[in-house]
Amino acid sequence: MTHSESELQRVKNELILMWKLVSAQLLKAQKALVTMDKDLAREIIHTEKRVNAYELNIDNDCENAFALLNPVAVDLRFVLAVLKINSNLERTGDIAEGIARFILEAENNFPDDLLAETQVLTMFEEASDMLLDLCEAFDKENTEVARTIFKRDELLNEINRAANKCIAGYLRENSAHMEQGLHILSTIRKLERVGDQCKNMAEEIIFYVEAKVLKHAGKKEGE
Amino acid sequence: MNKTVLNRLRDVVFKYFGMACTLFGLLMLAIFIIDILIRGLGRVNWDFITGFPSYIPENSGILPAMVGTLWVLVLTAALAIPVGVAAGIYLEEYGKRNYFARLVELNIANLAGVPSIIYGLLGLEIFVRVLGMGSTLLAGACTLSLLVLPVIIVATREAIKAVPKTLREASYGLGASKWQTIWNQVLPAASGGIVTGVILALSRAVGETAPLIVVGALAFVPFVPSGPMDEFSVLPMQIFNWVSRPQEGFIINSAAAIIVLLLITFLMNGVALYLRNKWQKKVKW
Amino acid sequence: MTPEFKLEAKKVNVYYGENHVLRDINMNIEKNSVTAFIGPSGCGKSTFLRCLNRMNDYIETFRMEGDVIIDGKDIYDRNVRVEELRKKVGMVFQKPNPFPKSIYENVVYGLKIQGITRKDELDHAAEESLKRAALWDEVKHDLKKPALALSGGQQQRLCIARTLAVQPTVILMDEPASALDPISTSKVEELIHELKSNFSILIVTHNMQQAARVSDKTAFFYLGELVEFDETRTVFTNPKHERTQNYITGRFG
Repeated sequence: MTHSESELQRVKNELILMWKLVSAQLLKAQKALVTMDKDLAREIIHTEKRVNAYELNIDNDCENAFALLNPVAVDLRFVLAVLKINSNLERTGDIAEGIARFILEAENNFPDDLLAETQVLTMFEEASDMLLDLCEAFDKENTEVARTIFKRDELLNEINRAANKCIAGYLRENSAHMEQGLHILSTIRKLERVGDQCKNMAEEIIFYVEAKVLKHAGKKEGE
Repeated sequence: MNKTVLNRLRDVVFKYFGMACTLFGLLMLAIFIIDILIRGLGRVNWDFITGFPSYIPENSGILPAMVGTLWVLVLTAALAIPVGVAAGIYLEEYGKRNYFARLVELNIANLAGVPSIIYGLLGLEIFVRVLGMGSTLLAGACTLSLLVLPVIIVATREAIKAVPKTLREASYGLGASKWQTIWNQVLPAASGGIVTGVILALSRAVGETAPLIVVGALAFVPFVPSGPMDEFSVLPMQIFNWVSRPQEGFIINSAAAIIVLLLITFLMNGVALYLRNKWQKKVKW
Repeated sequence: MTPEFKLEAKKVNVYYGENHVLRDINMNIEKNSVTAFIGPSGCGKSTFLRCLNRMNDYIETFRMEGDVIIDGKDIYDRNVRVEELRKKVGMVFQKPNPFPKSIYENVVYGLKIQGITRKDELDHAAEESLKRAALWDEVKHDLKKPALALSGGQQQRLCIARTLAVQPTVILMDEPASALDPISTSKVEELIHELKSNFSILIVTHNMQQAARVSDKTAFFYLGELVEFDETRTVFTNPKHERTQNYITGRFG
């Protein structure tokens, strides 16, 4: 393995660690939501600092790679993809932190029927699954798995679209849980955005491996 | 005693051995020159240089022989330089690298080592007899030309070989033909080496006696040759002639003539050295 | 009718004796463009470059098959005079190789050997060429100075000026900046950019970054074959062949 290869491998490993950490953050947020565990929420907020530290480190590594390794072709696409996935992951980390803050602010437990009706837990699971699958796809350069993300994101979108009606209906009947209902709605909105981040990351993986520019469909290839 | 000390000792021993050898050579040369100078310097004067040979040593001069030497020099140069340089250019630039070329190359190298008397015999047969030149300056010069041709050819080839390929490519790249490239770039760049070789070859020709004896240079010439078809003598002939006489006066005369001959060769070598340095300074790669 | 391409190589095969050094090279070069040839040492890129102005003719074992067509004419045709060809297809070499003469004599050499002797014409050509090679301001007061007194970078630009003086339409450059320091290199690269508007430039380089910076198209040679020939942008972001990718990313072998 050449020097630049091992250097890029190191960046890759670091990004994968960050990926797993962010995905764990989401799962923890889910758990904290269900059990109303404020200590766990605080832990999430604390761990977010580590996610941010990862982001800064990887940013720095990419900058160094550009300056020192002069990456071209697949290496260039790799560094570009890492740079973007890095910021996508950082935002996903922010989302987990935001959810943790709702839990801290909440004064009462979230009622089980609210959680069940809105399917928010399904969203959590699906989002963190997507994250982990993407991580695997990135590691193994598997674009087939990456391509499944677009379909899976639709589930998140559906739940999100249904959320307004669902929560409005729930609140009509349980007006005492107004605060919780609104928190869940915000959480759903945030998780929907995790889905968007996942789509972006999937695009980056496909670009890195196959060099197809998927964004802004309509433009010609290579432009 | 360890290896380092031993090696250093060897180094020192060899250094002094080499120095001794050099000194020996220089000493012999010095003894020879000093001996000649002591014997002959008193005899070198204007009368000696402008005088004609005579049976009386004190009246003898070297004018005919010296003029003959200069004639031979000029004629040999005029014949050997164009032919030798042209042959060198042909062999190096145009000649194909095949079996025949290698044969020619080998023969030229061998010719440079053939004893000069053989050239004399060749000259006698071809120039004096077959071509009917007689024992003239021209026949002598032709013979000496043959003698120095291999030296000039080899020197020319070496000098041309030393011209970097990049220079030729630059010239070709600008649309120059082969001849233009040789004339404008290769020859000027090689001229230092060629001139040096030519002068060294001519200084050899100046000192030659044997082939000229065979061709028929005279030992006693009471006139100054005025054209290439005149009969002639040269300084080495004159010296040879005088040395073989019993009278002490002629021995002194020959020492004096040697001084003149040495001066001529030193002068030519000096010019060669000067030209080489001058060209080397001008052309750097 | 003007031919579609400035230069076309069709099924070019080159042999040095028994060695088959170039195999079936097909390449079309557009007018006023810069094409970079890259590839490991001994891959045949320099040999191919030298086929384009018949510089290989002097190698005795050299043998070529196929056609090289410049401006619609086969340059290996019997009727083509190689001297005329080289006026049209100039060449700049790896090591700066000015003649051991004055700067002025270097620039006008190509014209003088064509038999041009009028001083005003030569003076004009010298000034024009030196200006185009971005050297005029540095040497205009010492045109009589020996060219070998110039710095390496200046010598290389002088060699370019000398080539421009003969008014070629194609310029071949064989690693023109490999013997130069970074500043001189960037000057030469800048110059290539400027010359592009009037000349078709073909450049052999071992410097990937240089190929990426100066060229419009890049050709990757490997073991005598033209592996990939495409827009430089494409070659350096998304090469089609794995060998190309391995070479330009430095993991060759």
